[in-house]
Amino acid sequence: MNRRKFLVSSLATATMGSTFAAALARKASAADPVRVGVLIPMSGPAGLFGPSCQNCANMAANEINAKGGIDGRRVELVFADVGGPPADATQAALKLWKGEKVDAFVGMHDSAVRAALTGLFKGQVPYIYTPVYEGGECSPGTFVLGETPQQQLAPVILWFNKERGASKWYLIGNDYNWPRDTNKAAKEYINRFGGSVVGEEYLPFTVDNFDSSLAKIKDSGANAVLITLVGGASVGFSRAYQSFGLADQAMRLGTLIEENTLLGIGAENSQNLYSSAGYFRNIDTPAAKEFAARYTKAFGADAAVLNALGESCYEGITFLDALATKAKSYDVKKMDRSSLGLTFSSPRGTSTMIDRHVSQDIFLAQADGVDFKVIETFKNVGPGNNCG
Amino acid sequence: MELFALYGLNFIYGIATLGLIVLGLAVVFGLLGVMNMAHGEFVMLGAYSVLIVQGQGLPYFLSFPLAVLICGFVGYLVEWSMIRHLYTRPFDTLLATWGIAILIRKTVEVIFGRGYQSVNQTVTGTVDILGVDYPAYRLVVFVCAVTLLVGLFIWYRRSNTGARIKAMIANPELAQAMGINTARLARGTFVFGVCMAGLAGALIAPLVRVEPYMGLDYLLSSFFILVVGGLGTLEGLFIGSSVIGGVDVAVSAFFDKTSGYLAVLVISILFLWLRPEGLYARR
Repeated sequence: MNRRKFLVSSLATATMGSTFAAALARKASAADPVRVGVLIPMSGPAGLFGPSCQNCANMAANEINAKGGIDGRRVELVFADVGGPPADATQAALKLWKGEKVDAFVGMHDSAVRAALTGLFKGQVPYIYTPVYEGGECSPGTFVLGETPQQQLAPVILWFNKERGASKWYLIGNDYNWPRDTNKAAKEYINRFGGSVVGEEYLPFTVDNFDSSLAKIKDSGANAVLITLVGGASVGFSRAYQSFGLADQAMRLGTLIEENTLLGIGAENSQNLYSSAGYFRNIDTPAAKEFAARYTKAFGADAAVLNALGESCYEGITFLDALATKAKSYDVKKMDRSSLGLTFSSPRGTSTMIDRHVSQDIFLAQADGVDFKVIETFKNVGPGNNCG
Repeated sequence: MELFALYGLNFIYGIATLGLIVLGLAVVFGLLGVMNMAHGEFVMLGAYSVLIVQGQGLPYFLSFPLAVLICGFVGYLVEWSMIRHLYTRPFDTLLATWGIAILIRKTVEVIFGRGYQSVNQTVTGTVDILGVDYPAYRLVVFVCAVTLLVGLFIWYRRSNTGARIKAMIANPELAQAMGINTARLARGTFVFGVCMAGLAGALIAPLVRVEPYMGLDYLLSSFFILVVGGLGTLEGLFIGSSVIGGVDVAVSAFFDKTSGYLAVLVISILFLWLRPEGLYARR
């Protein structure tokens, strides 16, 4: 560390210390609003999910405020863009935490950012992580609502084996930890249910030509393909897949193909395509239907299309309401204790928190044009072992 | 044998589409020396013109004239307002066109939203070639690409305009003295180049993802091809597409896609380092 860096950092520590003291001095009264930092991507490759997330979070806050807030305190959201690299996301979160004095965080972003944030928070502020992810997050004060590979795959792979005769799987994903960890879980279930893995491949994010992968899939004789490509790669792959007539050879299952991605894939290319997740816009339950109707009423028919990642931001805010109401505090230790066995309902259904993860209903949907149709519901699927 | 035929077809198709996409940049960068960072955005505009046409319920082929119209208009505006003042300052054109690229992306984002767009396919199904079921629409793209490239090649060689462009590039002052209106000619060349990018976008739209940021993919590979092939000639464009496309397909087939991409990067770096004029540069 050189002299200037030392000066800057010690200055920063000093300011941080004084704001900390100020925060302690100003004890929260019932009239003070609950400030929630909402960390979502509004730029970068995941920026696509920003608008639906922001809508859902705002909707949750408005609904909570309409019923009198959390324990009599109004909810106030402060948004920050975490679509960039982890270092920038940490800066943005630090600003909300120390500058805006938020009481809790709700985050919908990638795992690299999550790892940086748990390192920053160190269990000193409650942090609710909402999107689908690879599992294994165990930091104190971090509450995970998203689906793990165990939840999305264990019942579904068995179902495909029994109902569709899927036995020879080809695994294809982008080259980072979520697809790799998902496939690790998938291989275990495929082997357990008597199937085999005939190919496994990871593509860089920059790939837009999938010809060589498609030739390999064709040659492998696979009758099922597990897709963990994300966003644009998933769209490009699926379009090319159908154009080669592969949809007749092998069905496709994705664990992150949501409404937006399906729209990009297009109606002609979604034959024999399935998706497994904790939420779809078309879940046929009163809670989900009402939620979708309220969303359309609030933001209009042209608003960003509802999807699992957007909805998870709604879930994040309402979960905070349930947790804070039970814990009667925003202290991480008290919240940790209260979270155990906490049951809460959301558009997804009724979920229960165990080990700061949730056991929840998992839906298997088949693409029907550019919409999903839920064909099977797996009740109350556990998140697997994430701590240890 | 079947697999071999499939790889062969993919190889040929890969070269044709790369050539098609680079054509616009080859004209603008290769002939005029304008490092058009907004090249991919004009491809994107072409793809969105398909969306507009299909949204109105009109037949797909009408998106070609629309793509030319939109890209021609935007290209004219860009050339008139900025590029014409920067022809002798390559680095400034890079900055200016990067700004234009952002502006075009954001404008499209405001109008159509950030999400993926669903472009319908008009030619679906597969065709049996050499025992391989090959996507029918790819053959359409292939035929269009080859026609366009060959047509342009002949036109550039034989026409008066082609000769004037060559004169302008070789010696702008002398060309002007000979009565060639270089300002108009350069503008025409620029607009023609971005229109080619738009046409390419309209042609490939049914095959790729369509969203405001799609252009970035095409920008990078286009520059790689021009680096390897060399500037200013259609032969260079063809050779560059073959090398980049061929290496990618071959390495990806034998190893995996990551190695394929890595090989493309290594080759591009080697060329920039050891043979910056490319394989077949204008002499």
